[in-house]
Amino acid sequence: MVDEGISRRRVLAGTAAAGVAAGMTVNASATASASTGVELTVNGEKHVLDVEPRVTLLDALREQIGLTGTKKGCDRGECGACTVLVDGRRIKSCLTLAVMREGAEITTIEGVRHPLQEAFIRHDAFQCGFCTPGQIMSAIGLLAEGEPGSDAQVREQMSGNLCRCGAYPNIVRAIREVSG
Amino acid sequence: MIIGKPLDRVDGPAKVTGAAKYAADQHIPGLTHAVLVTSAIARGKIIRIDTGQAARSPGVLSVITHHNGPRFAYQPPKHPWIYGQTHVPLQNDVIYHSGQIVAVVIADTLERARYAATLIQIDYAVETPEISVEANLDKAFIPERGPFNLRYEYRRGDAHGALATAPVRVSGRYRTSMQHHNPMEPTATTAVWDGDHLTLYETTQALAFTRQKTAEMLGVDQKQVRVVSPYLGGGFGAKGYVWPHTFITAAIARSLGRPVKLVLTRAQSYTMHGHRAETVQELSVGATRDGTITAFVHSAVSQTSMLNEVSWEEMDATTQLYACPNAELTRRVVRLNLGTPTPMRAPLSVGGYALESIMDELSHATGVNPLELRLRNYSTHNPENPSQPWGTGKFLRDCYELGAKLFDWPHRLPRPRSTRRDGGWIGVGMATAFHPTYVSAATVSIRMDADGKALVRSATQDIGTGTYTIVTQTVADALGVPAKSVRFELGDTNFAPSAPSIGSRTAASVGTAAHHAGSALKDKVIAIAVADHRSPLYGIPAAQVTAADGQLFHRLDPRRRETYADVLRRHGPVDSEAVWPAAPGISRSYGAVFAEVTVDDATGEVRVTRLVGAFDIGRVLNAKTARSQAIGGMIWGLGTALTEHTIVDEHLGRILTANLSGYLVPVEADVPDVDIAFVDKADPAASDIGAKGVGELASNGATAAIANAVCHATGRRVRDLPITPDKLL
Amino acid sequence: MKDFQYARATSVTEAVRLARRPGAAFVAGGTELLNLMKDSVQAPDLVVDVNPVPLAEITQHADMVRIGALARMTDVARHPLVRDGFPLVSQALMASASGQVRNMASIGGNLMQRTRCWYFRDAAMPCNTRSPGSGCPAVNGENRWHAVFGGSDSCIKVHPSDLAVALTALDARVLIDGRPPVPIRDFYVLPGATPQVETVLRHGEMITGVEIPRAAGTSRYVKVRDRASFEFALVSVAVLLHTRHGVVQDVRLAFGGVAPKPWRSVDAEDVLRGRRLTDRLLDEAAEVAVRGASARRHNGFKIELLKRTVRAALDGAR
Repeated sequence: MVDEGISRRRVLAGTAAAGVAAGMTVNASATASASTGVELTVNGEKHVLDVEPRVTLLDALREQIGLTGTKKGCDRGECGACTVLVDGRRIKSCLTLAVMREGAEITTIEGVRHPLQEAFIRHDAFQCGFCTPGQIMSAIGLLAEGEPGSDAQVREQMSGNLCRCGAYPNIVRAIREVSG
Repeated sequence: MIIGKPLDRVDGPAKVTGAAKYAADQHIPGLTHAVLVTSAIARGKIIRIDTGQAARSPGVLSVITHHNGPRFAYQPPKHPWIYGQTHVPLQNDVIYHSGQIVAVVIADTLERARYAATLIQIDYAVETPEISVEANLDKAFIPERGPFNLRYEYRRGDAHGALATAPVRVSGRYRTSMQHHNPMEPTATTAVWDGDHLTLYETTQALAFTRQKTAEMLGVDQKQVRVVSPYLGGGFGAKGYVWPHTFITAAIARSLGRPVKLVLTRAQSYTMHGHRAETVQELSVGATRDGTITAFVHSAVSQTSMLNEVSWEEMDATTQLYACPNAELTRRVVRLNLGTPTPMRAPLSVGGYALESIMDELSHATGVNPLELRLRNYSTHNPENPSQPWGTGKFLRDCYELGAKLFDWPHRLPRPRSTRRDGGWIGVGMATAFHPTYVSAATVSIRMDADGKALVRSATQDIGTGTYTIVTQTVADALGVPAKSVRFELGDTNFAPSAPSIGSRTAASVGTAAHHAGSALKDKVIAIAVADHRSPLYGIPAAQVTAADGQLFHRLDPRRRETYADVLRRHGPVDSEAVWPAAPGISRSYGAVFAEVTVDDATGEVRVTRLVGAFDIGRVLNAKTARSQAIGGMIWGLGTALTEHTIVDEHLGRILTANLSGYLVPVEADVPDVDIAFVDKADPAASDIGAKGVGELASNGATAAIANAVCHATGRRVRDLPITPDKLL
Repeated sequence: MKDFQYARATSVTEAVRLARRPGAAFVAGGTELLNLMKDSVQAPDLVVDVNPVPLAEITQHADMVRIGALARMTDVARHPLVRDGFPLVSQALMASASGQVRNMASIGGNLMQRTRCWYFRDAAMPCNTRSPGSGCPAVNGENRWHAVFGGSDSCIKVHPSDLAVALTALDARVLIDGRPPVPIRDFYVLPGATPQVETVLRHGEMITGVEIPRAAGTSRYVKVRDRASFEFALVSVAVLLHTRHGVVQDVRLAFGGVAPKPWRSVDAEDVLRGRRLTDRLLDEAAEVAVRGASARRHNGFKIELLKRTVRAALDGAR
């Protein structure tokens, strides 16, 4: 195609929408919500949001609820900046729909007071601070999964959280101090 | 003294609780969301653009293309200066590179804008793009130096003649990759107009650039533009200059009459604000048999864009680091259908990698230990100006000593490919780090209130480097008050104009202005006190009064004292302001980096097992944040050495790794513990507080040290970065 | 991302009934589907959330362990039945993705992962898998990542799942509602001229679990990658090796990163079976393992890398 020099090519950036009624939930079973309102429990508080099903948990937290401590670094699950706890487990909030998390206990950086936060400051485990909420939430989740037995285990288990400033060694020290 | 102490970051609590508000975190009533549509092709023309479906999509407020795009009051010049690029998108139908802005959709929610953007249909006339540096080497040319006065050619002595007659000659052809900054925070602009006044919440390393250039493009006075950026999620050069998305967003917000927020997707960040250029370098060194260098000949070709001719990868280490009578440096560029390159953390590391690799090759050729080889060619005078001694600004010898000791660098290096452990080959390598130190004019203002607390302000940035903390320390010392009595606010053009955070200059520039502002305020308060009969200090010559821990006291009779608060309660608030420097100077900073790697015998996977850096950064302002900066810089070099590589399809011209799963930045598991040492001797030539930059310096040695360690482990010299497993099979 | 209808299913019956509609897609962990939707690679009209369906159990049976399709990667990797009975599966899972993704992603979803081919994931480029007939730029383009086995001129993608490689070595069976168990070797389909067809799963059919038959031997999962963690395999090798007095009784070899599906090397297994495991035999098996591989411009290294990795994995398992 390109070798022919100049050619015409049509590019449709996205797949065209089929003509179905979108933007609603289907009342598929007794437990499914028939309303467009999504009820989220975040840091112990209930929020009823008027959001489309396509809204990710991350965007709901940031744009709807105003909890901007949770960061969007890639929106593809590749950086970990959006890590939150759902029912005590660390997940990436950009890879889940808000509507999928109805009824769950969601915890963001704004809802935690944890010794890791002081340890991060003491060990200078961040520079620009953008990945930090995700690092801390991920580390809290990691500690809940069981005590890491070595620096190497922390390194492996924290590899889902990128830090471009290069605070990695200090992050390991902060976590090891708290994990004992 | 508080300066130098490992004070915790003063912005730490905000950052570990999620309270720190970055550019995309602002809550603005009535906010609308912009999403960019970018070109699918790398070269050609738009022949039709159909926005009908997008415009009718729910929630859409506006769809902008080149047909109805904003028209600007100014055209960035041929050399873009602090505009990132000359090209202004949305003005015509021409496509210069893939990922160029071709349309903007604005809607009431992000989801709706994002979806409508996918509905725009574009027909292109496609031309074959030029993508490859290697395929275009014959078209390489030397660019104009431009307003930054970038140096593309240099020669002294007879480098070719000396090389031809040198008893030992080593040559190498080195390739470095196209790379992307990838700060964790995506670039974001929120434009809010109030009448004819604009507030921009912007991800910027340079508030002043953004204000000046946005105003220029929009045809308004600078005073009408306020730029706010209290926290920046890393920049590394990508947010250093002013790129089109910023003024395009501001222009759209003006015509729409609504605040507009644009956050680039990670993929868009690969084509919106520059990248580090790919280079092909040929470097030869001539030496005597004992390793005394007689000549360097270094020629490099790097990529540039169709509209701009620029190469930021300065290679001055080749001509300034080692004593050598004959040297020649030539840098050329080739035009490709890719975006305009921009500086990326430590531009000198690209040439530095080649230089420090060839030093290692020379070490192998002469049998002189790599460390000894560097000492043997140590320059006490500027090799470009042999009558000029480096003087007290150079403590590289100390770096070698400190680093070698910390690393336990062997006097006798084992032969390459001779040390094994756990199924892997072990190797060690070292390299010198070299970086110029820059300063820019900075202004710092201080107001001390009746409570004795100092509010310090400057329109500078903390891009993660610790500006908040080191300025707090510096002012506290200058005033003689505890750090907790000082609050530093930055990131707002309403404050006094200040230095950009590029080229590792913030600490020296803003720190020195802060020092002078603090000293000036102290002198003012002392003058007030000694003239006030109500003060215990009344009548004492001002020169005999000083301050510590919030108290002013007579040097000779410290019982005569009172607090700042005591004076100001009587007198009212006191202000001071200082600008520094009067004339920007230049110095250099140095370091030595040592690395140990393990290379898997079977698979060629390289893991860095030890990393040590010793740096001469002048006076250390904060032992904790400086150490972090140095560690981060070395990890940056690790990524360049082993993992980072932007890959472009050479037929389609699209970047294939435009994400964080294809473009591999190092993860936690790639990085060992890192040991750092500082010489910590003030360099008065660099700044009045004796500080020099650190962030880029530390990146400069790590790449070569790791590459040299790989060669020592495996016996194979990979001259093509990054060193991925396939290159070691 | 297109707007869509969202439905929650609480039973397999309900899930399947909903998913039969045209344009429907299942979501479990969301770690794959959401990315594909954001990148306009997939655009379902109806997303059927199957998370409420009770399919997360891991149970022991006489000659096998059954893992529910909605069990999460983390939970499977740490479950005693898997950790102790099938360490190969645990190793492969723990070598995958990141801690957060492993907490989200389901076993069924893991098997249904789509290729990481950069041409497939960029909707602005041609790709026969995404848009049949549009062409495959990888064949003459940047194919360092691409297949050396099982590709065609239409498609040379590689399958990204580590788990699927381990399960292939273990002769696992994929459980699909309304069908007899499908051996995992038959579950994936090579691209040929129709790369858009990737598995035998038909629209609306749902994976309910996998069964792993018990097998004796020591095992090892070796994954080679460009960075130390959180990265897909350049090449991976799953080996299950059962020896007695140094003689190979049974062996299974499956490879990842080299083919559009997990690649089983029966020939190499045959070379090993019944013979004494000497260094020379390892070399021979490694040679046979790469027989038939064919390289494109940038991926030739995978053949040598696979050979070395097979040898290292066998060596590590013995």
